[in-house]
Amino acid sequence: MGSTLCQNRLIEERKQWRKDHPFGFWAKPQKNPQGVLDMKVWECAIPGKKDTIWEGGQFKLHITFPDEYPTKPPKCKFVPPLFHPNVYPSGTVCLSILNEEEAWKPAITLKQILLGVQDLLNDPNPESPAQAEAYNLFKKDRAEYERRIKRIVRENAAP
Amino acid sequence: MSSDPEFDGVSPLTEAKKSRVLMVGAGGIGCELLKNLVLTGFGETHIVDLDTIDLSNLNRQFLFRQEHIKKSKALVATEAAQKFNPNVKIVPYHANIKDPQFNIEWFSSFRIVFNALDNLEARRHVNKMCLAANVPLIESGTTGFNGQVQVIKKGVTACYDCTAKETPKSFPVCTIRSTPSQPIHCIVWGKSYLLNEIFGTSEDESAFDHTTDADNAKEIEELKRESEALRSIRQSVGTPEFSEALFQKVFNTDIVRLRSMEDMWKSRKPPEPLDYKVLMEKASNLDKEAVVEDQQKVWTLEENLIVFNDSLDRLSKRVMESKAAGQDAVITFDKDDEDTLDFVAASANIRSTLFGIDRKSKFDIKQMAGNIIPAIATTNAIVAGLCVLEAFKVLKGQYSQAKEIFLTPFATQRLLGSDKAREPNPACPVCSSFQIRSLVDFSKATLNDFVEDFVKEELGYGEKEFAISTEVGIIYDPDETDNLEKKLSELGIKSDSFLTITDEDDELVNVVVALSESKEPLEDKPVKGIFSSEKKIEIPAKPKQPATETNGAASDSPPLVVSLTKPTDGVTPAKRSHPDSEEGIAKKVKTIAAGADEEGDIVIVDDAPLDAGGSSSEGAIVIDD
Repeated sequence: MGSTLCQNRLIEERKQWRKDHPFGFWAKPQKNPQGVLDMKVWECAIPGKKDTIWEGGQFKLHITFPDEYPTKPPKCKFVPPLFHPNVYPSGTVCLSILNEEEAWKPAITLKQILLGVQDLLNDPNPESPAQAEAYNLFKKDRAEYERRIKRIVRENAAP
Repeated sequence: MSSDPEFDGVSPLTEAKKSRVLMVGAGGIGCELLKNLVLTGFGETHIVDLDTIDLSNLNRQFLFRQEHIKKSKALVATEAAQKFNPNVKIVPYHANIKDPQFNIEWFSSFRIVFNALDNLEARRHVNKMCLAANVPLIESGTTGFNGQVQVIKKGVTACYDCTAKETPKSFPVCTIRSTPSQPIHCIVWGKSYLLNEIFGTSEDESAFDHTTDADNAKEIEELKRESEALRSIRQSVGTPEFSEALFQKVFNTDIVRLRSMEDMWKSRKPPEPLDYKVLMEKASNLDKEAVVEDQQKVWTLEENLIVFNDSLDRLSKRVMESKAAGQDAVITFDKDDEDTLDFVAASANIRSTLFGIDRKSKFDIKQMAGNIIPAIATTNAIVAGLCVLEAFKVLKGQYSQAKEIFLTPFATQRLLGSDKAREPNPACPVCSSFQIRSLVDFSKATLNDFVEDFVKEELGYGEKEFAISTEVGIIYDPDETDNLEKKLSELGIKSDSFLTITDEDDELVNVVVALSESKEPLEDKPVKGIFSSEKKIEIPAKPKQPATETNGAASDSPPLVVSLTKPTDGVTPAKRSHPDSEEGIAKKVKTIAAGADEEGDIVIVDDAPLDAGGSSSEGAIVIDD
């Protein structure tokens, strides 16, 4: 069990999300075997942005909140791992707003996180490679990189 | 304390004799505090501690002796302290304070609860139970030379969670695995990554199994090869090639690969790979025994190699012996285990060298790797004394006199600074909620019964929208109604569980309901509130807060103590992030021990009753309360 602060905040995040969330996105805490919504692990889906090569795709993301949330940021992981320069081979996303030492602030909401990850899809950060394959292709053969992305989008088409 | 002073007709010493109190924790502060309680004459003291006595406790936990090592702290402390005063009763429990036997009813049987704990989690639990049972709590903690005492009384003073606590530092995985810049980064790498990969339980395997995607195949293949390479080295434990193979892998092959990611080194100095054979030649004439002995010296690169090899030999031998005996061959880091400490020190220093980071002595590395903060007997003794003085005010009911006291020997003016007890924080996640209790017939009660009969009717929520959650998470909200027909017991809710009701419109404060199994079957309804009066209960409204458009959540949080550290030496690119950190490192970087979770050094000194006489060096403490 996390702290009460962590729990209260996640209940609030759930409420805010239920009341209003951006189109095409999806986010819900995972159900445990007893049917309780486990607030520490959320199952989410992010749509590719309109007018980008990612348009039409939808990508599943797991968000895990530590006990120290919101002092510490949650961890976002694409399931299955995504072909992207800033996604680790394990699927974990590399983004400044998710890093305690950089841009993470306790006031950042779930919605802002998901929008931030959506932005990252088409705007990778070459300064911070997380997987060799996507990074190298992005740097050395942009045309082939884009073909790969389009194929991935077809394979992960939004419903 | 030669006389028995009377205040307002209430003598604290007479009251103490009649009091039944609870002390949670029988360690550093606990030993001192138990002595004080017993000698003050507190009639009955219950002690809960789950720990056993360790050699390293003996310098300050003075109720314990060599022959008590591995015995229960609660039991031995009781035996020792009973001799100080045979007229008082001491009741020990060798148990965890979170055990269900220690329920709200049990807590409410005490006049005062004393916390003498060393961790955040247990402190939070006792704080919550004392609030639910409405029993005053005296909270204390020490870190090195600093100490603090605080009186917590529901609705009167701030509770433990009214201020945010600092969390221990963790490191992003990239800093550890790819771009270290400080000695601690390399120490964490040696301790939490390398030692674990070779002698512990590797975590890599589970991370990649759920992928079927053709696009990832190549990268997955690469990673498999990578982990196979380490695993095959791990297989060679005990062979003559082992040290060299491991060295070449982590200080050469991996470093060469890392250097090939050119963008990473645009604004940083790239690491320099090392060669085992070249280095070994230079190290061949060193005296192994002499090097390993010298803990205070900062070893040279060659000396580190000697220690690296020697500690690997020792660890390998242990693995071989365990395997031969058919036992578990896993070795984990322990600062007092010389073999693991030598291995971590040497590998950290070698890694530091190739990244151009300063090396450290084994002595320093032991402190850093073990998160050692010295525990000072004197600090504990002073704090334990202050606990009793605050307890006197509680016994007299003089909460207005209660102080929050800080012991800060390095503050310029005084040793002890005291501040008027703070008022409860209206936005506190714990004590701002409205607390009630209810009786439940767990053989029958469903979530629907709780929602309809208790929340809507008895609490008067009516048509309001609300969410209900357990300590795990939400079981009911307007969009989550699947659980309504389930029995509460099927949702993991039992006697002494807490349920939180959150108002969807943010008008009412959270309501925390403590459930108790009803002793007799409940007649008409399986859930029934326990209310002190027949009056309709009124749930307080939430204090007004500035409206925020998109972000209601943020305004709910109390002011957070968040130190957003700036990236050092300006090498960190804007988007760089390393969110893998929790995966291994955070877990293993232990919470900074013993009471490190106090608010830090906010010291407000006033001239009120508790007065540190003169300067701290004179040390005379005059109590003229």
